[in-house]
Amino acid sequence: MWKVISGIFLGWSLGANDSANIFGTGITTGIVKYQTAILLTAIFVLIGSIIEGSKCMRIVSDLSRLVSIEAFLCALAAAITMTILTYFAIPASTSQAIIGAVIGAGILSGSADFSKLIKIVACWILTPIGGMIFGYLLYHGLKFIFDKTIPSLTYRNTIYSVGIIVAGCYGAYSLGANNVANVTGIYVGSGLLSCQMAAFIGGLSIASGTLTYGKKVIITVGKGIVPLDPFTALVTVLAEALTLHLFTQIGVPVSSSQAVVGAVVGVGIVGGLRTVNPKMLVKIAVGWLMTPFAAGLMTIVFIYFTS
Amino acid sequence: MFLEKVFSRGKKEKEVIGDITKQIKLLCTACGFFKTALETDNLSLMRQVMDIERAGDSIRRDIISRIYEGAFLPYLRPDLCKFVEIVDNIFDLLEDTGYRYLDLKLPEQLRGECIQVAFLNRRICEMLLITFESMLKGEDLREKILAIRIYEKKIDDIKLDLIRDARKIEITNFWEGEILSQFLSCLTSISDVIEDASDHLQVIHVSMK
Repeated sequence: MWKVISGIFLGWSLGANDSANIFGTGITTGIVKYQTAILLTAIFVLIGSIIEGSKCMRIVSDLSRLVSIEAFLCALAAAITMTILTYFAIPASTSQAIIGAVIGAGILSGSADFSKLIKIVACWILTPIGGMIFGYLLYHGLKFIFDKTIPSLTYRNTIYSVGIIVAGCYGAYSLGANNVANVTGIYVGSGLLSCQMAAFIGGLSIASGTLTYGKKVIITVGKGIVPLDPFTALVTVLAEALTLHLFTQIGVPVSSSQAVVGAVVGVGIVGGLRTVNPKMLVKIAVGWLMTPFAAGLMTIVFIYFTS
Repeated sequence: MFLEKVFSRGKKEKEVIGDITKQIKLLCTACGFFKTALETDNLSLMRQVMDIERAGDSIRRDIISRIYEGAFLPYLRPDLCKFVEIVDNIFDLLEDTGYRYLDLKLPEQLRGECIQVAFLNRRICEMLLITFESMLKGEDLREKILAIRIYEKKIDDIKLDLIRDARKIEITNFWEGEILSQFLSCLTSISDVIEDASDHLQVIHVSMK
């Protein structure tokens, strides 16, 4: 059972890092307090993990046939990769790190299923695109609806305040439902945990990361975020949540950071392409390529030395 | 906080809106008093303008403390406070103009044009109230703001005539001339500040769209 520790550590770091994607915009616009945001994120991540977390477990466990020690090393390699890339401020995704690690282990044992990998990579490519499309459509759709139905300043103020909190809760739910497979999905394949137990332990570890270290990350990230107007903040969080939830139904864990970046770009396109920073997109692409390769390589090294 | 927001249905916001409406209505009353005092050369009525300014000051303080107690999104608060401050500046300017009037003997050849400016000031204030109410309903403000600009332009035209006529008046005492000049300057600046307030309403309107 001690082999689950690396997964719990990975979940903790995911919770600490990705909670900023959920309520970061709400906090910078001053709608939600840090304490409230962290508490809501932790609660809804856990609910999402328990209710829908098992949907993405299968694809992670089917990717390679792992024994329990390999599962431990995969999660450890993914966690270390995430820590290093985060230290160098390269946007990294836990989904890509764990899939890279599992594939690395699979290559070494000869059990890697590349047909599943194609589906996963396609979903990785589609995540920011999905965020972008949802961001663009929601911006226009909600703007039209709000302009027609809520012209009053007072009511609109209430709708934005409540909307950002509701969208944030939904975002946290989707994060838990989609990303819990990254944390404990490999233990299901290796037979160490059942789907329900993996979802519960994974959800708890993500929630603990949010509760213990989320505030620090939100403050750091929050200072770097350009303050969005309340409507854009609402659209961004909602688009991210919908993207994550869509990929949960497909059964593939994806990156919440890439979903939120896609959503911001989608909203940015509304204001013209000049508002999109190409340098930032290059940096994201570098992280996108480096994460799975680095995690895969590290797993191969770990398994090679331990065996 | 979240549940409070849902169940209160914007109670705090409605209170702030009510107070801002009261502040603008009070400004309309002050402008009306000023115009009548100028028409009838009623000094006690002119002193009431100063009393109204103090009442306006108290409303401003209430609004700002209510806003920072949690009314409206933090994103909107600075803009709302700035609007309230601009309206308060109009009160201050009206009070200054009133004080100058109490200190001088307005030459009769200028009184007609001054009354005209005071009349237009009152009209612009009424227009500001209409613009504010339209903004609350989410209506288009362009036409209302355009009307305010037209009134402001009219006052600018009268100001030119006023200065031309004022030059013809023989000044025997420096301070008499100085106070008359300050009076005319204050009187014709009120509309500029009202125009600033209306522009700020447009900023608030756009930022919540």
